[in-house]
Amino acid sequence: MIFNSLTFIVFFACVLAMHHLPLAWRTKKVNLLVASYLFYAAWNPPFVLLLWVSTVVDWYAAQKLVHAERPAVRRAWMLLSVVANLGMLGYFKYGGFLLANFTTAMAALGVHYQPPSFDIVLPVGISFYTFATMSYTLDVYLRRAKPATSFLDYALFVTFFPHLVAGPIMRPTELVPQFAQPRRATPDMLRFGLALMTLGLFQKVVLADGFLAPVAEQVYDGDKVAGALDAWIATLAFSGQIFCDFAGYSTTAIGVAMCLGFAMPDNFRFPYAAIGFSDFWRRWHITLSAWLRDYLYIPLGGNRHGQARTYMALMATMLLGGLWHGASWTFVVWGGLHGTYLAGERVLRSRFAGYRPGPWTLFALALLTYALVNITWVFFRAHGFGKAWSLLGGMFGAHAAAAPIIPTADLAMTALIVLSLVGAHWWMRNRTLETAIARTPATVVSAGWALMLFAVVITQGSGNAFIYFQF
Amino acid sequence: MPSSISSSEAASSEAASSEGAGPDSPETGSADAAASAAAAELALRASAVPLHAPESPLPGPGAGEHFVRPGFVRLTASDRPGVAQPVPVRDIPPQPWRRIFATAMVLTAVLLCGWEAYWRAFGATPGYRNSDGAWAQQRRRIDTGEGDRTVLIGSSRVLFDVQLPVWERLTGERPIQLAIEGTSPVPVLEDLAKDPNFTGRLLVGVAPELFFSGFAYRGDVIPGYHRQTPSQRSGHWLSSHLLEPLFAFYDPDFALDTVVRRQAWPLRPGMPVHRPVRKLMTMQDPDRNTHMWRKVETDPEYRALMRSIWDERFNGPPPPGMDTPAKLQKTIDAQINRAVAAVATLRARGVQVLFVRPPSNGHYYAFEQKVFPRARTWDVLLRRTGAPGIHFEDYPQLQGYEQPEWSHLSAAEATRFTAALVPLVKRQPWTRGNAQPPR
Repeated sequence: MIFNSLTFIVFFACVLAMHHLPLAWRTKKVNLLVASYLFYAAWNPPFVLLLWVSTVVDWYAAQKLVHAERPAVRRAWMLLSVVANLGMLGYFKYGGFLLANFTTAMAALGVHYQPPSFDIVLPVGISFYTFATMSYTLDVYLRRAKPATSFLDYALFVTFFPHLVAGPIMRPTELVPQFAQPRRATPDMLRFGLALMTLGLFQKVVLADGFLAPVAEQVYDGDKVAGALDAWIATLAFSGQIFCDFAGYSTTAIGVAMCLGFAMPDNFRFPYAAIGFSDFWRRWHITLSAWLRDYLYIPLGGNRHGQARTYMALMATMLLGGLWHGASWTFVVWGGLHGTYLAGERVLRSRFAGYRPGPWTLFALALLTYALVNITWVFFRAHGFGKAWSLLGGMFGAHAAAAPIIPTADLAMTALIVLSLVGAHWWMRNRTLETAIARTPATVVSAGWALMLFAVVITQGSGNAFIYFQF
Repeated sequence: MPSSISSSEAASSEAASSEGAGPDSPETGSADAAASAAAAELALRASAVPLHAPESPLPGPGAGEHFVRPGFVRLTASDRPGVAQPVPVRDIPPQPWRRIFATAMVLTAVLLCGWEAYWRAFGATPGYRNSDGAWAQQRRRIDTGEGDRTVLIGSSRVLFDVQLPVWERLTGERPIQLAIEGTSPVPVLEDLAKDPNFTGRLLVGVAPELFFSGFAYRGDVIPGYHRQTPSQRSGHWLSSHLLEPLFAFYDPDFALDTVVRRQAWPLRPGMPVHRPVRKLMTMQDPDRNTHMWRKVETDPEYRALMRSIWDERFNGPPPPGMDTPAKLQKTIDAQINRAVAAVATLRARGVQVLFVRPPSNGHYYAFEQKVFPRARTWDVLLRRTGAPGIHFEDYPQLQGYEQPEWSHLSAAEATRFTAALVPLVKRQPWTRGNAQPPR
């Protein structure tokens, strides 16, 4: 089920009520585990089996490898976990993509191959929970963490519904210890958690789904050629939509966990105020970028084996990171562009190591970063390269005679929301949400909360799934 | 148990940036990074001020002075490369949360009451939402034991003009209403043709500019039914029991973004006027029985607005796929071909199909006559499918109704129309007594 649904409201009320009953802590954890399976089964009940496979394989692999003395045996158990998780991900997420590319390659060689139809439904959130469970085995293998002593705690770590389907991608060391002791939200935690949920749902329901998504759809999903204004506004709208959608999910998830007495890490840190791309990736989907750095970039050599190896590891990490987002070459190009930006920034930083820009230059660099990020969003959002090139052409003046597509209302609302969003990110660049709220008068906090909740209710929403569920 | 650093999460921006490890380039390896992170943690603890952590609630007034520090940035996973992540600790801003919560809830309730009152004053009344979930619920009846019933498909005219209680009173059977506004019924026809559970009778409403163009304002309804999740089903149940019968504002036409978009924004140069269709109907029963919204009948201004919206469509440029006579004919032929195939499949299974062309008048009828004339559409459809049909032009009792915005009947007229239609339907070789043998 999704957070912005009536079903979730009822589900969450029941979970919250049960969590506050005077039951043994173990019973409460079992309740949370069952609730988490229900949460996942509400999409497609059979896919709960995949969760079980992922849970059990990594549990046993970690138990076995920690007791193995020979390095080869340890490595074998670690590889079992990696192969099982990536195999599952590969089959469900990339099977069709691989088959289509194989068919194309065969055709290029003059071999006509007609593959059987590959109509596999992608299990929601599979990319997230496979990465979470793999990090468990890998942390144990790398001796960064000891294996969990309780299967219940470990299973709850994998399945815990706030982070299950779209992150934040939590490490076992972040969550398993929280299950060791009884946890229950204080009244203030509960209220602040509800406030965070309202903020997250406001971002998702009102801004992303209500105002921004339709603007991007008019241009990206239509067959009209877009001129400069339409192409830019649609792309800016998507930049706002994907942030509000995903950061909205993360904020809601953090609020949900807080209401139950658990803490989850930040997944976004005002990314559209980033100055440069290494800064951007410290602020955007933090738990994924950290995962890729820890389990891909560093094992590939990181920056400790010379310049060439560093750039190779950097580009490989970003290309695979792009592919993680979707089984399409457009996502690979999206990752490749970010890899190129990061490499370019690295070159510039080493060449101008002593340069200390002033505040206005920093602001200009932040705007440049945001503009370049928007170029990458074109490949992320477009359904194919034809549309992507057409949009990019439009953005840079190739379709000057194109008829207008986006009505004035959408132009104005997109401009207002995106400018407010970027401005808010800049103002919050070195702050946290909590410090900002702490400085705000209580009446203003109340009014803001009420207005957001009111807007969520009257926008009504259509229960659109979060964008990142498809990844 | 996994080891973890029990972090206070206190950090200055300088400390955070000094760790300087982005996803692209951990400037240190994992061991170095771990040492760096640990050193940063220790330094921070030494200078840390108390935080309002879940386990250590701060007292109320004055707590902010301890909590708020310039440059405070919480450490995240991106600040600790290559180390096992510690348990995160989140802060609760020191605020009077009880008062904030109570005020926010009261204020929200007041705003919602005002919003509800505004739309009720506008003429709205609570009713069921014409949602995908409502359609799916009716469609599911065919697959759960009611496949031998009479099913109505079509567009808004069948939805508004055919009143289920009247049909039930005259025939003893309440049909399943599957018409979808603004959408060609051909995909529904095909969907039912593929469903062996459906063995009943099928009335297909024909609104020429939708049926023969294949336009689908709500094209996601059928795929949505086939991939409907348990969560969506329960969501529809909750909505139709707890919200829809109570709140008038709970209607897509009154959604915030819709309301903002339909304000009098200036038109972009070169852009045709194309306002979205406004609320036209009220769904008064959970089985999708529907009639025209009373405001369309009684408010001359609103009625004029609806007519002007239709006129914008009639006077605007044709859609890209139908901008030449040849393309238009090709589109019409394609839709008829699809219908012919689906009807053949249904009749082979013993399902009798009846086409019905409900009335229209005014500018709407003129537009239909001009772009989709009967001889090139309706007559061809009946001839090629071999199915019977009832066209309003052929029956005096189906003519002369009040149609406030040219396309749909008023609520009272819909009752009268249904009472006139049902006897005609009964006479067709469609009902059980005189059904045609399967072909």
